[in-house]
Amino acid sequence: MAEIAKVKFAWRIMDLVVGGVFIYAGVVKAFQPVRFASDIDNYKILPWTISVGLAFYLPWLEILCGLALILRRLYLGGLSILTALVLIFSGVTIAAKVRGLDITCGCFGHASQNWSFSGHLALDLVILAALLALYFKVTSENRLQNAV
Amino acid sequence: MRQALVLAALALLPGIGQAIYFRDKVSWQSPIPASEMVTVAQARAWDGNVIWVDARPDVEFERDHVPDAVPLNEDRWNELLPQFLATWSPEKRVVVYCSSQSCNASREVARRLRGEAQLKDVFVLQGGWEEWLKSRK
Repeated sequence: MAEIAKVKFAWRIMDLVVGGVFIYAGVVKAFQPVRFASDIDNYKILPWTISVGLAFYLPWLEILCGLALILRRLYLGGLSILTALVLIFSGVTIAAKVRGLDITCGCFGHASQNWSFSGHLALDLVILAALLALYFKVTSENRLQNAV
Repeated sequence: MRQALVLAALALLPGIGQAIYFRDKVSWQSPIPASEMVTVAQARAWDGNVIWVDARPDVEFERDHVPDAVPLNEDRWNELLPQFLATWSPEKRVVVYCSSQSCNASREVARRLRGEAQLKDVFVLQGGWEEWLKSRK
């Protein structure tokens, strides 16, 4: 029984850490939407108008999804959105590298300004692994509950 | 799926609020602040007090350019910058242009002129070469 409680506690910590990371990333960018718009624009994928729109929207989406993980409300929705976001961020980062663009990811505002490509990608993969682990854990729990 | 949609919709609210709050601090049309942009008509009104800088690739500059424009692109920055500086004088305004509204070369060149060459009164031509051609017709 104590073993189960420990495992549950570990999963809860993972919720808090992953949620906290996205809340931090969102807050940092929400304070500097103009700079974040430039960071998005640097990827040379979207027109400026859409970059500005995303710069106002994405930080709040990250904050709300992070809160969803921490508060365990709309949990699966938050996990799904964050997983999709990390996949997109990783994809565009790789695409930018392939196209030879020398850019900062802007993921954590100024804090990520000097991150290397490999450092950025490694963090993305760690977060993605954590999100997928949480996703499969909660979906398997739901399946078990439905079966019972 | 429903939960994701709810979160996506909820995030719109603060996003819209922030966009309204920042409405005077960011342009939705261009990454360049309005104060650093200039229209063809405005630049022409400055008359002889303007140095036109063509930030397009050499091939496009050789094909055609604004009369008396100086080529200054990032491909040959180190080579072309001294030539540009030789024509520059403090009382003149610098207007940089590239191909069209969507190109980035003019704002990059303008940024470098302000940053690296420490020049003031550097502007980006709204609509670039395309707009210049339209105004010529």
